[in-house]
Amino acid sequence: MAGQDLQRREILRIMGMAGVAAHFPGFATWAFAHTHPASGPEQIKPAQYKPQFFSDREYALVERLTELIIPSDGTPGAREAGVAEFVDFMVAHDRSQQYKLRTGLTWLNAHAEQTLGGPFPALTQEQQIALLEPLAYKAKHRPGEEDGRQFFRAIRELTVMGFYSSQIGYKELDNPALRYYAESPACPHTGDPEHKHLAPAKW
Amino acid sequence: MPKQIYDVIVIGTGAGGGMASKTLTEAGLKVCALNAGRRLVPTKDFRNHRMPWDMKFRGFGDPDKQAQSYGFMDSEWVEGVWEHEIPFTMAPGTTWMWPRCFAVGGKTNFWGRSSARFGEIDFRAATLDGYDVDWPLTYEEIAPYYSRVERMIGVASTVQNRPSNPDGEYLPPFNLRCIDHILHSGAQKIGVPYLPDRIAQLTKDHEGSPACHYCGACTTGCDTGSFFSTPWRFLPKAEATRNLDLRTDALAKNVLVDENGVANGVAYIDRKTRQEVEVHGRAVVVAASCIETARIMLNSKSRHWPHGIANSSGQLGRNLCDHLYGESANGYLPQLLGQPSFPDNVGDNQVAWMPRWQNLQNPREEKFIRGYSVYPGGGCTEYPWYAVQTEGFGSSYKREVKRRYPTPVNFTIQAPSLRSDTNYVDLDPEAKDPYGIPLARIHFQWDENVLKMWEHSKQVCAELIRAAGGVFENSADEPAIPGWSLHETGTCRMGNDPKHFVTNRFGQTHDVPNLYACDASVFLNCTDKTTTISILAFTLRTCDQVIEKFRRGDHQRV
Repeated sequence: MAGQDLQRREILRIMGMAGVAAHFPGFATWAFAHTHPASGPEQIKPAQYKPQFFSDREYALVERLTELIIPSDGTPGAREAGVAEFVDFMVAHDRSQQYKLRTGLTWLNAHAEQTLGGPFPALTQEQQIALLEPLAYKAKHRPGEEDGRQFFRAIRELTVMGFYSSQIGYKELDNPALRYYAESPACPHTGDPEHKHLAPAKW
Repeated sequence: MPKQIYDVIVIGTGAGGGMASKTLTEAGLKVCALNAGRRLVPTKDFRNHRMPWDMKFRGFGDPDKQAQSYGFMDSEWVEGVWEHEIPFTMAPGTTWMWPRCFAVGGKTNFWGRSSARFGEIDFRAATLDGYDVDWPLTYEEIAPYYSRVERMIGVASTVQNRPSNPDGEYLPPFNLRCIDHILHSGAQKIGVPYLPDRIAQLTKDHEGSPACHYCGACTTGCDTGSFFSTPWRFLPKAEATRNLDLRTDALAKNVLVDENGVANGVAYIDRKTRQEVEVHGRAVVVAASCIETARIMLNSKSRHWPHGIANSSGQLGRNLCDHLYGESANGYLPQLLGQPSFPDNVGDNQVAWMPRWQNLQNPREEKFIRGYSVYPGGGCTEYPWYAVQTEGFGSSYKREVKRRYPTPVNFTIQAPSLRSDTNYVDLDPEAKDPYGIPLARIHFQWDENVLKMWEHSKQVCAELIRAAGGVFENSADEPAIPGWSLHETGTCRMGNDPKHFVTNRFGQTHDVPNLYACDASVFLNCTDKTTTISILAFTLRTCDQVIEKFRRGDHQRV
């Protein structure tokens, strides 16, 4: 039986690859972490990806926002996963979002100037976070920032989509999707159907 | 070239048409099957093993084209497979979502696979609660056909001894996951059933098809044929008999009749040449799926049938029913917070079900009549949908998304609408498709009874989450819009009285003895169960009749 399963998995693997090779045009320009050296984000040159919608300056700001939303901390974050490229690509194909995002970036810089005396990229990380918190948390919402909140909701959603659909995002969650099994996986906690006595949480 | 005449013309190759083509050709009859779309190539068209980062839009699809998508199944994984060229219209006040797959095999390529038998409680519902009429057959009559179908296609489940759900012949069930055990304990506390679903998905090698490999991507097609679909399991058998002529891109337009008003063929549009073609046969099986079947028959107008073929009752297209779908409740299970991930999505989350538990002893126990079932889901899915609802950003947010990953749960209701005179399909008097065929126009509203079920399910499912030690978060404000379930029934209902029913108890039209309907159009309503396995069982029974009529000479062999 085991031999048969192995054979079946091998067939599946080859079929899967043939499908991809025949029909997927490829994303040679899309940067993913596994193609980068592990030593740090500063080695990644933005010039590797030519934005399709945002200007270079806007794109740098988008990239900064994505890494504030999903940072590289103990594990790789949005920067290593190339999320800014995904955001740019999606917005380039989404006319309904373009105006909101472009004006949102302008609003963010103006807002930073007004409240902290410099454009968003010139602020310290602490200042940047302090500026975003009222947009992100209901308890910290401030009147007059509705447009900013709407913009942040949009960029955050795109960032989340881009990160958790990337290979790095899959690794982050240990996402078990699209693996093959010989039997349908069964709950391993026999004797504890209510799951009241599980080993302590890992995260 | 002499004009070729077939024994039977079958319109459609989905559950009904595929079963008809297989059964009739295996009995030696010469069949011409018409299919409105192309053949799929599993290695090309089913991208189910492709990771999101191997796809242009990561599986989310092109945003600028979202408005043209039917959503859900009509995704980047199966691009160009769902039908977009042939539109439909809606009467004022109706909203209707109608995803259709015209490729060979139809919706069996992507279906949900849940396969419960209808039971006596469904067939005799009118006797029990006084609404509408009973089905013109008993469970005992159809039961052997369900058994034959289950043996053919392979259904994984357990014997459950429930009054509304007759048991069948099953392969070993799917194993229950952590979320199932936790929800089961909650269900027990509030007294509702929580059981392995009945799934037409192979847990063992079966009839030459390999067992499932549990990749979880069933809704985008299966490239090993490990769940039932006609292109993998029936059509190769039909073609092996050399009695099948399968014509693709053949969009059926109308049933042709002879000088006596008896069916003698089908006119179709060859979508490649855009030419109209006629094909002739001694009997015609319409299996184009409920609404499409009504459209073809209503468009089959002649001197004999001025209002559509076999429509002397005026009931053709009437009595449209549908399953109300909607997310009755969602939440999460704190027991699993921070636990290692688990492959919960192995059968596309189709592992367990909560079969109808309402109105079983007393048909009027609840504020509504009849009943609904619920499909639970959740756990580690391909994409963490809850993440967009989770507040915040930064490391704390990233950690929370990871902590929550194994915990989400949700419940989807499947509730039948009641038959109504105001829910029906007719031909749009003006709008036509690109080939000049009048469009189907849909008239549909949810009824009060089904909306009461929806409200009831929201309460029960929230209660279940809490009883399981979980945190209830939301219920959808509104149910999904009609049509979303893909379980429409009616339009050619079966009954003994030719004045009130289009087809008889065998799916043969009362008016035209060599015209049959083999899809959910013959069902009296949609019950709380899914339709596919019943389409297969009823079609098998109809085909036994067709074969017998050819044998006896009621239909002349070619």
